[in-house]
Amino acid sequence: MQNTIVCRCEEVKLGEIISSIESGATTLRAIKVVTRAGMGICQGRTCRPLIEDCLSKTIKQDSNDVQQLNFGNPIRPIRLSELANTRKG
Amino acid sequence: METADAVVIGGGVIGTSVAYRLAKERKVILLERKEIGGQTSGNCDKAIILQSKKPGFPIKLAKASRRIYDQLEEELETSIEYNKNGGMILIEKEEHLNFMKKFVDRQNKAGLRVKLIDAKEAKAFQPYLSDNLVGATYSTEDAEVNPLLLTQAFSRAARRSGVDIRLYTEVVGIDCQNGRVVGVKTDRGYISTELVINAAGPFAGEIAEMVGVPLTIIPRRGVILISEKVPPMIHGNILCSQYIAAKHQSEEYGKAPPFGIGLSLGQTDSGNLLIGGSREFTGYNKEINPELLASIASHAIRMVPSLGNVQIIRSMIGFRPFTGNGLPIIDEVPGVQGFVIAAGHEGDGIALAPITGILVASLVAGESNYKDLLEPLKLKTE
Ligand SMILES: Cc1cc2nc3c(=O)[nH]c(=O)nc-3n(C[C@H](O)[C@H](O)[C@H](O)COP(=O)(O)OP(=O)(O)OC[C@H]3O[C@@H](n4cnc5c(N)ncnc54)[C@H](O)[C@@H]3O)c2cc1C
Repeated sequence: MQNTIVCRCEEVKLGEIISSIESGATTLRAIKVVTRAGMGICQGRTCRPLIEDCLSKTIKQDSNDVQQLNFGNPIRPIRLSELANTRKG
Repeated sequence: METADAVVIGGGVIGTSVAYRLAKERKVILLERKEIGGQTSGNCDKAIILQSKKPGFPIKLAKASRRIYDQLEEELETSIEYNKNGGMILIEKEEHLNFMKKFVDRQNKAGLRVKLIDAKEAKAFQPYLSDNLVGATYSTEDAEVNPLLLTQAFSRAARRSGVDIRLYTEVVGIDCQNGRVVGVKTDRGYISTELVINAAGPFAGEIAEMVGVPLTIIPRRGVILISEKVPPMIHGNILCSQYIAAKHQSEEYGKAPPFGIGLSLGQTDSGNLLIGGSREFTGYNKEINPELLASIASHAIRMVPSLGNVQIIRSMIGFRPFTGNGLPIIDEVPGVQGFVIAAGHEGDGIALAPITGILVASLVAGESNYKDLLEPLKLKTE
């Protein structure tokens, strides 16, 4: 169970998430900064619900109270050349 | 009532470095209203770059900090992905060649090893560079570090030395009596102390206001694009001469570009490219003009064409604590005994964090061994 991969992009295991929470990371952002979960190519779109769940179970907090990860734009991965072309004129 | 020998405000790279050094002889409490390294120190590049600093004192200070880095992993007992990979400033336009030549001359006189190389030599070192460059400057003294790991490493080492680190605790007031600090008010209670270190980065002005001291530190916004993981393609740091113009904002280094765009490029150990950046005064506004992202992208592609194919997964916004003279303030405020400022590192806080902790410790111990470095960092009051 501890070895279950929660964040596939960054290969972060459940055990690492739990131990980060136990050592004081009590928001999604704090967990992300410590474990890299949610920092990969999907930007937490897959693992966020799992981490929220894990957080609310570990610290017995309602997951609605848990601070949301913010998605830095762009919303989906985009090639740098496409981004360059969004320029006007 | 709760008491401490010192209270450090701010859990960024500066506050954690300071708390770690102070803990050697004191009971220290560090207060952070959010997460460790969650603000500027978690939204920045990884460059410990010396050759971008102004010749003179800024170089001397950066060198002193860089020397500490050589033993820091051992001292903090963990990897911070510190690499001595050198750094390069690309020169794209003939018209920049002149001021970069002068810049290099003055750097060499200031004792920094930097040399001007031609486009071919630059490409031999960084194979993905464009063929259209006129040259580059190169220094082996530049290095890099992972800023997230660095801040966490300082914070863990501080905790091991006994620092009480309190997250989600906001300082809301500072208590002074007869011109000296006597305590700190937080949203979670009062701490009695005679020493407060203001390491609140871009927010340091708000803290100084609590003791009635005017402190002009304003946020200078920077945006960085982050790519998916790719195989190694960039060695060390890459900047461009336009970056120097944007950073130093003086005609001497060419005209500042729109959005203060200048290339800053690096790759983390895990393979993500950090592609920056910009310099703007827009307060704490987090809205990004799409034109700004497009300008960063096209500027980077012009210098390193193969970057066009990498996927960007997100962007970061950080707020550099800008003082106006390119140097931080490290000083005990005259007239408010026990109130020390260690803030305003602008775009160099990662590079300068190690020396900052040591300077603050020396200052509060009343030692004179770092006088030459502390003197130019005094708070200037009109
Ligand atoms: C885009 C960008 C790129 C950069 N690249 C580099 C680089 O390559 N190399 C380099 O050396 N530097 C770089 N920098 C600069 C560097 O990031 C900063 O100088 C440094 O992070 C500042 O650290 P700090 O600890 O002073 O501030 P912060 O990291 O912002 O820490 C201040 C802390 O104080 C807390 N705080 C504020 N008010 C209160 C309060 N009332 N109560 C409790 N806590 C409070 C905040 O929450 C925050 O965590 C870059 C910056 C940016 C924006």
